Amino acid sequence: MGRIFDVAAAQDIPLGTHKIVTVKGRTIGIFNIKGSYHALPNICPHQIGPLCEGKVSGTLYRDKKTWELHWTEEGEIVTCPWHGLEFRVQTGECLAYKQVKLRTYNVTQIDGRLLLEI
Amino acid sequence: MIKKGQYEDFFIVDADVHINETPEDLIPYCDLPWRKALEAIVNVPRRYLNIPGFAPQFSGNRPFWPGGFDKKTVNTPDQLREELTELGIDIAIIFPDNLLLIATFPQREYAAALARAYNAYLVDQWADKREGLKGLLLAAPQDPVDAAREINKYKDEEGIVGVYLPCGGLHTLWGHEMYNPIFEAAEAAGLPVIFHSVLTLNTAFPFNGLEQFETEFARHALAHSMSLMFNMLRLIETGVPVRYPNLKMCFIEGGISWVPYMSMRLDKEYMERRRYVQHLEKPPSHYIKNFYYGTQPIEEPENPGDLAKVIELYEGENTTMFASDWPHHDFDHPRAILNSGLSKEVKRKILGENALAFFDIDRQGKRMRSHDKKGILS
Repeated sequence: MGRIFDVAAAQDIPLGTHKIVTVKGRTIGIFNIKGSYHALPNICPHQIGPLCEGKVSGTLYRDKKTWELHWTEEGEIVTCPWHGLEFRVQTGECLAYKQVKLRTYNVTQIDGRLLLEI
Repeated sequence: MIKKGQYEDFFIVDADVHINETPEDLIPYCDLPWRKALEAIVNVPRRYLNIPGFAPQFSGNRPFWPGGFDKKTVNTPDQLREELTELGIDIAIIFPDNLLLIATFPQREYAAALARAYNAYLVDQWADKREGLKGLLLAAPQDPVDAAREINKYKDEEGIVGVYLPCGGLHTLWGHEMYNPIFEAAEAAGLPVIFHSVLTLNTAFPFNGLEQFETEFARHALAHSMSLMFNMLRLIETGVPVRYPNLKMCFIEGGISWVPYMSMRLDKEYMERRRYVQHLEKPPSHYIKNFYYGTQPIEEPENPGDLAKVIELYEGENTTMFASDWPHHDFDHPRAILNSGLSKEVKRKILGENALAFFDIDRQGKRMRSHDKKGILS
């Protein structure tokens, strides 16, 4: 169990948005995806870019059987604003390099406040 | 086969030799009406890889450069077998000479007829006609459906071990979906495909622009590797290695030092642009490391150890195959590998074992047909 920090009011991060907070010298992105909150370090492992300042969007997926192109995971993928590396917010997985996975932080909502565990 | 001295330890497979097929050779094998087109050019004056109507060369008006040496050709299976033995080569994979330029013909039906004639001639006169002579079917890119039919027609021939996909003067790069029938047929037949380029001045990219250079020194320096790079990129862009995961692919006649460049360069692009190539399950370097490569014209760095470093960069110990390009002007003797800074084990793989695996043959040149056996078991 890590330490708990009160980082924001839930209403400050409405559905589909994200915000960067600073806790004990670390910058962390808090994301509201479909009503649940997730947190990632604001550091892209590639060249240490400010990952969580990037846009949250979806991504492209090609069905290997039909070879059709689909738009998927709308609102669940953050793209680093420096070089475009994509990460799945809920899990921290890197889409391009499957062996790369960011750590994630627990965020809980209590009485309208967001509590971050680090 | 009797070999002497430094060769005796090594079983040598040569992934690239060229026979000089002429219009006269193909006439008996060519369907009408195109046989008439071949008959019409029998007496046309020729230069090396430059026969009007057969090996079209937009560079035909370039001067004969003073000095140099005469071009050699291989005209009979006996001659080829004798010369290979002299070079210490046990098994050789046959490519054409003049039809290296087949991709430059705009006429679909003519190109397809030439490919059919060459394949019939190859099977009838060369492939397996002497010990260790194996052939590749020629696929005319102008007619992928007919090329697929040719693959199905000859796929069980004992003398045929793969499909040659021409890159010299190719208009539409390999990887375009129009070629799917060829890749499908080759994968289903368990035959590998080999991309082989040639120097030509041509309106087709990336051969257009070579006319900017004044000399053969410059034109020849990048023509082959550039063509292989563009085709490799197109194959990855359109997901050919993903769509045909059991298709073995080889790039020949560009040397090997371009491979680490492409591997690193495409991975760098992939970092930012994975969204454009969503079909790739792994970074491009993964696919590049799974392709095979012919060595010729092998780089001969001042420090022989540098060659081993290049191969290490694309993890090519198991995917690099000796190719001589005999009897062409820039052929490599097996000595180029034997005298390199590679370990004995890696030399053994590059000189023979990798090619036996790639072409799926044993040391007698007998087809192993692993693909068929897998099919029966599953």
